Amino acid sequence: MIETTGLTKRYGSTEALKGVDLRVEHGSTYGLVGPNGAGKTTLLGILAGLRHPTAGSIAIDADRSRIAVLPDTPRFDPWLTGREVAELAQRLTTGADDRVEDVLADAGLADAMDRAVGGYSRGMLQRLGVACTIVGEPSLVLLDEPASALDPLGRREVLDLIGRLKGSATILFSSHILADVQEVCDTVGILDHGDLVFQGSVEALLVGRAVPRYRVRVRPPSDPVARALEQQDWVQDVARSGADELSVTVSSVDDAESKLAGALAAAGARVVSIGPEAVTLEQAFLEVTQ
Amino acid sequence: MSLWRLEWMRLTRTKRWIALLGVYLFFGLLGPLTARYLGEILDVAGGDLEGATIVLPPPVPADGMAQYVGNALQIGTLVAVVVAAGALAFDAIPEMGIFLRTRVSDVRVLLTPRFVVTVGAVVGSFVLGGLAAWYETWALIGGLDAGDVAGGLLLGSLFLVFVVALVAAVAGRAASVLGTVMISILVLLVMPIFGVADAIGRWLPSHLGGALAAIPAGTESFADYLPATAVTLVATVALLYLAVRFASSREL
Repeated sequence: MIETTGLTKRYGSTEALKGVDLRVEHGSTYGLVGPNGAGKTTLLGILAGLRHPTAGSIAIDADRSRIAVLPDTPRFDPWLTGREVAELAQRLTTGADDRVEDVLADAGLADAMDRAVGGYSRGMLQRLGVACTIVGEPSLVLLDEPASALDPLGRREVLDLIGRLKGSATILFSSHILADVQEVCDTVGILDHGDLVFQGSVEALLVGRAVPRYRVRVRPPSDPVARALEQQDWVQDVARSGADELSVTVSSVDDAESKLAGALAAAGARVVSIGPEAVTLEQAFLEVTQ
Repeated sequence: MSLWRLEWMRLTRTKRWIALLGVYLFFGLLGPLTARYLGEILDVAGGDLEGATIVLPPPVPADGMAQYVGNALQIGTLVAVVVAAGALAFDAIPEMGIFLRTRVSDVRVLLTPRFVVTVGAVVGSFVLGGLAAWYETWALIGGLDAGDVAGGLLLGSLFLVFVVALVAAVAGRAASVLGTVMISILVLLVMPIFGVADAIGRWLPSHLGGALAAIPAGTESFADYLPATAVTLVATVALLYLAVRFASSREL
């Protein structure tokens, strides 16, 4: 669907993108993550045709009229109503305006669609932006940090709207809120100082970066249990988090599965719970970018 | 909702049409009145200045149009530039520019209605103001030849088309509406300075602005404006070309 090769963008002496090879599969929801200034907006701008690359090539398998773009803080002429903005958005892309009311209702703007957008809240503007993005039934949607500046409720609403797009369009979604990406996306790319340092499925990122670690809750005291585990040659580290919880880093999942329960029993531990420690996208992201 | 309707609504909902029509109509009605009663106005204001008395010649019909043109050329053009910049600097707020640019295949689709509707509003206001001035001149001072007035209105309108084209080109480079206004005004102010030398001035677009005063007064004929008309037409086309080129190459 989208394939870039050696995509480079320079602003004077600053290299915003350094030979990015992006690959977004048809129908996927791709999360482009990275810290502020990583080049996410520049990359989306180039894909949207709003900026020109310094070098490299882009192949997009979608008609330009079926590519929709949502900037991070959408703004519209304040004297237009929400309905008029959505009508304009659909009219310019499909030539019709038959989906406006349905899309605005989906976006939770049914009661506000005939009000001037100058009186809309930030969250309403964002939802109107999403409505305008999907009203033309695009095949490719480029979203630049669509929920980054919203309160939790507004963020939830926008993520739900994006979630409803899945399956009907390919979505490229930039964000520095990793929880949003983990929730919505099936593929992730990590952009760091213009370099695409990781690209693959969310699972591949989490599993590939995961150090086998188990969270063990025992009845206090936990210190004797921790000391007994530290003496095992397959245990790399035991960290105490609270009076009754241990984070046990092991050399392999096999060792943990075959030996951890026995070692705890031998140490006389009264085990409350035991399970693998989930690696968050944030941990994986920090590991990749630091 | 089309881009043409959007521009019409920009004029009506933001009340910009009132500013445009108001300023030209105001000066259209005020100009002949001032020309007719200037002597009386000065008397009331204290025409006897330390023993010196200002004696004005009796007003002639051409004075009515001259008063209108004098004001319309300055204040009217300024308002026209501001209104045009508000419509043509569509990238001034990048998020609004992104909304429009990503929905059209060619920037000319965006520029054309903005340029045409703005020209229509500016020229329409100028012509209505001119017709008001013509009527009031007839009523207060005396009649003016319709052909002379029509010629003056045509040339003045052409100058305003040039002004809007200039704003369109500047908007493609300037970062804001204010920047577009300031640069456009600077260019329009510099032009008459070059025009002080008559050999140059008669070729400049700004020369057309005075046609509505000079042709009815008989000081110049329509033919005298042909060099400026030719330059203005060429410059307008060139500015529109630049406007499209600048807007197309602009990055958001």
